[in-house]
Amino acid sequence: MSDLKIEGYEFKPGYRGMAEDTGSAQTMFKGVHWGKAMMWIFLLSDTFIFSCFLISYMKGRGSTPVEWPNPSEVFALHVGGVDVPLLLIAIMTFVLITSSGTMALAVKYGYEKNRKMCGWLILATAIGGLTFVGMQAFEWSKLIHEGVRPWENPFGAKQFGSFFFMITGFHGTHVSIGVIFLFIYAYKTFAGHYDERKRGWFTSIKGDYVEIEILGLYWHFVDLVWVFIFAFFYLW
Amino acid sequence: MSEDNNDKIIIQSQSSESISGGGSGSTTDIDYVRPAEVGDQDLYHGHSFITKWVFCQDAKVIGVQYFLLATFTGIIGLILSWLMRLQLGFPELASFMTAEHYYQFVTMHGMIMVVYFLTALFLGGFGNFLIPLMVGARDMVFPYLNMVSFWMFFIAVVVLLASFFVPGGPTGSGWTLYPPQSILEGTPGSGMGILLMCLSLILFVAGFTMGGLNYLITVLQARTRGMTLMRMPLTVWGIFTATVLAMLAFPALLVGSLMMSLDKILGTSFFMPTILQAGEVLEYGGGSPILFQHLFWFFGHPEVYIVALPAFGIISDLISVHSRKNIFGYRMMVWAIVVIGGLSFFVWAHHMYVSGMNPWFGFFFATTTLIIAVPTAMKVYNWVLTLWRGNIRLNTVMLWCLGFIVTFVNGGITGIFLGNVTVDVPLSDTYFVIAHFHMVMGIAPLMVIMGAVYHWFPLVTGRMLSEKLGKWHFWFTFLGAYSIYFPMHYLGFIGVPRRYFEMYDSPYVTSAVGMNEFISTAAFIVGAAQFILIYNIIKSLKTGKPAGKNPWQANSLEWLTPSVPPEHGNWGDRLPVVHRWPYDYSVPGAKEDFITQTTPPSDVTNSEVEKT
Amino acid sequence: MHPGIIFFLVILGSVLFHIFTPWYWTDVASNWGSMDDTITLTFWVGGGVFIAVCLFMVYCVFKFSYKEGRRAEYKPEDKKLEKILTWATTLGVAALLAPGLIVWNQYINVPKNAIHIDVMAWQWGWQYRLPGEDGKLGSTKIKNINDNNPFGIILEDPNGKDDILIQSDVIHLKNNRPVKILLRSVDVLHNWYVPQFRAKMDAVPGVVTYYWFEPNKAGEYEVLCAEYCGVGHYGMRGRVFVKNEEDYKNWLQEQETFSDLIAKQEEIEFSKTKLAKK
Ligand code: HEM
Ligand SMILES: [Cu+2]
Ligand SMILES: [Cu+2]
Repeated sequence: MSDLKIEGYEFKPGYRGMAEDTGSAQTMFKGVHWGKAMMWIFLLSDTFIFSCFLISYMKGRGSTPVEWPNPSEVFALHVGGVDVPLLLIAIMTFVLITSSGTMALAVKYGYEKNRKMCGWLILATAIGGLTFVGMQAFEWSKLIHEGVRPWENPFGAKQFGSFFFMITGFHGTHVSIGVIFLFIYAYKTFAGHYDERKRGWFTSIKGDYVEIEILGLYWHFVDLVWVFIFAFFYLW
Repeated sequence: MSEDNNDKIIIQSQSSESISGGGSGSTTDIDYVRPAEVGDQDLYHGHSFITKWVFCQDAKVIGVQYFLLATFTGIIGLILSWLMRLQLGFPELASFMTAEHYYQFVTMHGMIMVVYFLTALFLGGFGNFLIPLMVGARDMVFPYLNMVSFWMFFIAVVVLLASFFVPGGPTGSGWTLYPPQSILEGTPGSGMGILLMCLSLILFVAGFTMGGLNYLITVLQARTRGMTLMRMPLTVWGIFTATVLAMLAFPALLVGSLMMSLDKILGTSFFMPTILQAGEVLEYGGGSPILFQHLFWFFGHPEVYIVALPAFGIISDLISVHSRKNIFGYRMMVWAIVVIGGLSFFVWAHHMYVSGMNPWFGFFFATTTLIIAVPTAMKVYNWVLTLWRGNIRLNTVMLWCLGFIVTFVNGGITGIFLGNVTVDVPLSDTYFVIAHFHMVMGIAPLMVIMGAVYHWFPLVTGRMLSEKLGKWHFWFTFLGAYSIYFPMHYLGFIGVPRRYFEMYDSPYVTSAVGMNEFISTAAFIVGAAQFILIYNIIKSLKTGKPAGKNPWQANSLEWLTPSVPPEHGNWGDRLPVVHRWPYDYSVPGAKEDFITQTTPPSDVTNSEVEKT
Repeated sequence: MHPGIIFFLVILGSVLFHIFTPWYWTDVASNWGSMDDTITLTFWVGGGVFIAVCLFMVYCVFKFSYKEGRRAEYKPEDKKLEKILTWATTLGVAALLAPGLIVWNQYINVPKNAIHIDVMAWQWGWQYRLPGEDGKLGSTKIKNINDNNPFGIILEDPNGKDDILIQSDVIHLKNNRPVKILLRSVDVLHNWYVPQFRAKMDAVPGVVTYYWFEPNKAGEYEVLCAEYCGVGHYGMRGRVFVKNEEDYKNWLQEQETFSDLIAKQEEIEFSKTKLAKK
């Protein structure tokens, strides 16, 4: 890491150097913006929340005496006379992953101070997120229509409904919050708040394109969590 | 901050005159400190009363707000403990109290004391006040978020206390909130009470997360020039590590509370198996009550250390300052804090040895638990070794430190009883447990809080507290609390279970009536003695001796601000620059018996500083 | 008074209290004397450390209290001392842990000849079921519980027919014969605890938990619920009689089996219908 250079700091070689860098004065993560560091730690904490949910799900699924429903039947979509398993969910996942891509591009254009491109890409990300939430609402209403409830489930163990609605709901809330922030940030980008370093409405911290990257971290995390939820609910 | 590398020595402290020749404050190469990596913080200064004192963004004010609100809830917890002790010692005087009341009081007392009092006080109170000052920052890194954090805590407290006034009253399920009983008829407050409790906890966690992110990033990314990790006071290390634990442990509490609320509101069966109550089979089925216990204790055990680690850190600093001696084995102390913090995530099921979980877990968790005893013991040794060959000022602060050592060692030893599976079997869920955790996480941290109050009060207010009143306060509290909890262990040996509203006339517990009366009397005295402190504070605010700068001749940065009490922004125009660790006390050859952290090496050339 | 004296008196008082306390554990009445031994061991080691640390503290307070002009020692670290202390502590802790784990291993492995007892808990009481001649308990289901089938025994299970039902909170045990307590709860958590037997375990609804002991002192004992289970927790008591072989047999003979219960109920049913016909 000795060739790494951050303004005002030269990294030292070897493990010993690494330890020294870590423990050195002022900052532990050299050149890392406070907000970014904060988001990383917040996401670590959030990871624990989702882990608790998923571990509880495993335990709940393992200890319930009633049969667990077969996901490829429960989640199948009836298209043109045939049941296609996991169709909707495949589309949802695709949309969400794509939105991660547009988010990454938005960050790039943000740092290039390309206000227009950045703004449009954030907007595209937001729309991707919105589509995801919409499809999830569709999935929920389909299941509810079939009689699945948090407290009961015609296809087997009641915990299926409980965990499904709780965990996807919790994740959906994350996506929705992300979408709201994306819209706000899109507005702020178009309005030039980051170029002009205008102060935040509440925090009175000077605006900076790094904020978009911070939101991007959150967005990628939400996508990543979805992959796990997807695997646990739909593939297991 | 600016880029100028020449900006070397900023604050002159009393000791900065050098012993041999070299002009004071001269800038030589040995004083070189790397230039600033981060720009100076841009702060929002409040103008009106509201922005200055209510929705304030200054961490010091937020710290005091946290302190006051936590103390307020703590007093409620104390009053509840009086009521319980009245019932246990003098049931004939407590005829107004039903078993329902008793269990509600136990629950609210336990939860308030652990979460809303100690956690909020150590992290929210001391963390906010001390972290920026001790690491040489102008403020927490996200002042706005910090302000919201306090107000979330405020709402959480309001929701918690509101549960006293809802139909059915507050939850009476024990602070562990174990389902199924916590949400079933047969437990007081199983309706609105438990829901408000869960809601309040969720709000607390949300608020705490906002504060916690602040503490962590401030320590990680906003230290002043020269402040390396290994130059941080142990107080900062303790609070920092505790915050890390909190960030990773509270999620489990959040998830547990959420799932339990859903079980209650929507009728899901996360924690609810098939249940037959009053002759009827309930709608629930298939859930696992033990899952909740795992979630709870995955939070609950680290929580113990969330309270203990800041206490460890603070006490180390107090002992060092008032023994005029460096803390013994600083590096060991730091690593012990970190190791204890890490291990605390692998011991949670020692609370569940007799819970009906797979008994094979017992081997694992007993082993990890006893491993934790080693770094903890090292800390104790280092505290007493710091006293050894020190120059101990036997003032009020030191008395609290000594009281802490006695109670903590006592409680730590009984912890080894309870951690060691087999020994735990006869003792778990008896008064031995009550005595143990009150000693180790009730009284011992309380001693630290009191010591810290006497120590930092001059910094917060600019006036000293009365030593005389302080000593009375100490002896009443220490002797009283010790005589509450030391004999109580023996009730546990007899086999008296905890959470018993009344003993009736079990043949072998009737002999304990006398002891219960004694304990209750002591509890009333200890509680009343706390009003000495309140009186002392009120009186000293007006008439206390002015503290002046650095009244204890301490080294760490918080005492070196240009104005006392420090103003918003802490450091005036220029941030301090740190040249050494905070424990250079009684350095041979140095003029004074302390060398502040900002004293440059050129000022102490003739002395034998070993560690910088 | 010098604070050191008071601290010293506190330590001394603690030791004296421990020696002269009239409150101490009840005489053990089961094989788990080994638990008392582990406690005693922990007491010696832990108590020794407590006294040593506190007395050292008191010594320091006397010896090194503040004197104007005196300097404390300046010695940030003492690697050797720290090492010695670490290893000594580790050894001490290991010495405490090992016996603990050994006894725990005995605790969770039930002897083959143990009599199985189904202890059923509810808010707020106990009842018991013993295996009949076949030595096996019939399987149960909470949903089967009703007035005619107070234990929820599955009727199709042949093992259940001769089960001995004790619908009372008083149980008798045979002296010097291990028992395996199978805990079951129909509603919330409970814990069947007799202080003199030392052992305990929670009853958890939805699962069956267990522990074992061997009573070795005839007499009468009180059962206390040791896991909070709602407002009636403190009143959830029961009684155990430990009897010698003969008395135990006599008692057992008097108890009703599940088939007895069914027969009795059928009789009642029969006479009821007969009455109705008349
Ligand atoms: C002198 C002050 C205190 C007194 C007299 C006191 C008294 C009591 C009493 C009588 C109980 C109920 C025991 C039972 O029936 O099982 C109790 C429980 C408890 N106390 Fe305290 N207490 C005090 C301070 C504290 C402090 C500072 C803490 C902070 C850790 C604390 C934490 C708890 C907890 C966690 C419980 C368990 C609640 C439960 O069983 O759910 N107490 N206390
Ligand atoms: Cu624990
Ligand atoms: Cu109970």
